[in-house]
Formats: sequence, structure tokens, C-alpha cells
Amino acid sequence: MKILVVDDFSTMRRIIKNLLRELGFTNLDEADDGLTALPKLKGGSYDFLVTDWNMPGMTGIELLKEVRANPDTAQMPVLMVTAETKREQIMEAAQAGVNGYIIKPFTAGTLKEKLDKIFQRSAG
Amino acid sequence: MHNEENESGLLEKARLLVTHLENKDKDKADAVLEDLASEREMVLFQEVGQLTRELHDNLSSFALDGDLVNLKDNEIPDAKKRLNYVIEMTEDAANKTLNAIDEIEPVTQGMEASSQELSEKWNKFMSRDLTVDQFKVMASEISLYLDTSSKNSKFVHEKVNEIVMAQGFQDLTGQIIRKVITLVQDVESSLVELISIAGKHGSLNGDGKANKHVDELAGPTVPGVDVEGEVNSQDDVDDLLSSLGF
Repeated sequence: MKILVVDDFSTMRRIIKNLLRELGFTNLDEADDGLTALPKLKGGSYDFLVTDWNMPGMTGIELLKEVRANPDTAQMPVLMVTAETKREQIMEAAQAGVNGYIIKPFTAGTLKEKLDKIFQRSAG
Repeated sequence: MHNEENESGLLEKARLLVTHLENKDKDKADAVLEDLASEREMVLFQEVGQLTRELHDNLSSFALDGDLVNLKDNEIPDAKKRLNYVIEMTEDAANKTLNAIDEIEPVTQGMEASSQELSEKWNKFMSRDLTVDQFKVMASEISLYLDTSSKNSKFVHEKVNEIVMAQGFQDLTGQIIRKVITLVQDVESSLVELISIAGKHGSLNGDGKANKHVDELAGPTVPGVDVEGEVNSQDDVDDLLSSLGF
């Protein structure tokens, strides 16, 4: 399972990668916004995307839409981890096809729970 | 035209003044001087009056556009709350980190002491300096040590994870501070505009508005700063998503 973690704050990328390693995911890569994430996603067989929303260059929601629009990545599970808590934004993400939505600050437990849920669905 | 009239009038009065002075008619000369001075004052008063009116008009149109008022009434107080929240978050993160370290310290120190002790006994055993009874004691101590060592490692691991999670403050405070920086820039451009009006070096430019926030996203939730339509917790997010069929 190859996971791409996208956040403009390097501390948050480290935290998320740390937690993912903790949960047994060791094949991890990172990008600091949508613009750097997109070529990676197109080029390298990733299985899962964890992304922030508010980033310079290309935001997480734009990245999500790009991922869904590309046939190669359209089926990839996307988990959004963001400080954006407005209802309309959560709904926008849902409509764009997000698979999970976590608001910051979050706990290790929440991350595990959402990941489990996403994998259960994709398995079932 | 006005200036020419003014100048010819002045010239005439100056000639009159010279004539009076040549005739040594001091009273008449004084009267001409007074006349000249009062005319000067009048022009000055008129100019000050005009300037005041322009300044007043500009200021009221500036205040009316609402940007400065909104900054004062809402955005500055919000910025204070945001910055206070940054202090709170950094303090909280520092405390969480230091508390976790405080809890780890005695555990690692205890482990260090017991391994030291066991290592000495083990060396004695290797050089055959241990009696059978002493060996038995050491064996049970080793078994206890292995058991606690595994528990302690798990404990330290948990605490290390707490420290890692506490660093999440950096992202959130960073986002909040960026918003305040944008606000400071807005205030700055409003002030520059105000100064240019007061200094009469320019008039209201464009639509008279300070640069509007490029970053329209709401960003991290800050207690006391109400953002319309904001959810309060992960549970709210989950409820909202499940209501949408997730």
C-alpha cells in the first residue's frame, strides 16, 4: 500500500506519516501542495491519498477533483485532513467524492477509525 | 486671470506705498501696509477653509465605504482572539510535551538503574562468582526485568506518540497567524490610503477598498470567533457526512 501525504506544513506531514507508520503503513511519500502532488499521483502507482485542504498553489479540493477526473486515479481513496470546518466545505468535499473527512486537531484514534472504514468499504 | 488681477492690484498698492513713504506720510503708508496684510490673511483663510472641506469630504467618503469600520469593529477584535488562541495552543502543546517527558524520565532512569544492577550480577555470574542461591535471585530478577522492560517500552512509545501529536499546533497556529498577517496588510493599505488623503498627495484610488483577502477559506476554528456554518467537532462532521449517505 503506497500512500501520498499532502500538506503545506511539514510538521503536519511528519505527524501524519508517523501515525501511518504506527498503523503499519511503511510505503509513504509526501508533497507540499496539489501542484507537486498531481505529477506524483499521475506517475507513480499510489493506492491512497491523504490531503489537506488549504494549501498554496493548488488546494486539496482542487486536487481531489483532478484525481477524480483522471481515469487512472478516479478510484483512489482520498482522505481529507483539514482545519476547514464549514458545513458547505464538507459538503463540497463529499460531492467531489472524498472518502473520509477529518478535522484538525485530530487524534491517532480518529485517523485509524477513518482508515479502517475506508478500507472496509473498498474491500466490500 | 485671478492671479494677474491680484498682481496688478499689489503693484498698484506697492507704488502707492512708495509714494506715501517718499512724501514722508507715515499714517497713509501704514494704512496701505495694513490693507496689504489683511488681504494676505483673507487668501490664507480661504485656502485653509477649502482644504478643510476637502479633507472632511474625503474622510467621510472613506469611512462610508465601510472597510475601515469593519476592520475596527470586527476584524481587529477577531485578530486579538486569534492571537490569544495561538498563545493558548502553543502553551498547551508545550505543556503536553513537557508532561510526557516528565513521565518518561523516571521510567527510563529506573530501567537504566536495573540494567546496571543486573549487568553487574551477570558479569559476576560469567566469571563464576555467583552462588547457586544468588543465581536464582538473579534469574527471577531478569525475568521481572524483561517483563517490566516490555511494559515500559510500550509506555514510552505511547508518550512519544503524545509528543508527536502535540506538534500539530504548528500547522494550526501557522494558518491562524497567516490570517492575521493578511489582516495587518489590509490595515496597512487602509492607513496608507488615509495618509494619502490627509497629505493631499492623492485621492481615493480605484474603488477605495483595501486589498480583499486572497485567502477566503475559514481556516482553523477559533473559540470566540464565529464563522457562519462551522461545525464544532469530528462527530458533527461524521453526522453531516452520514446524512449525505457516507
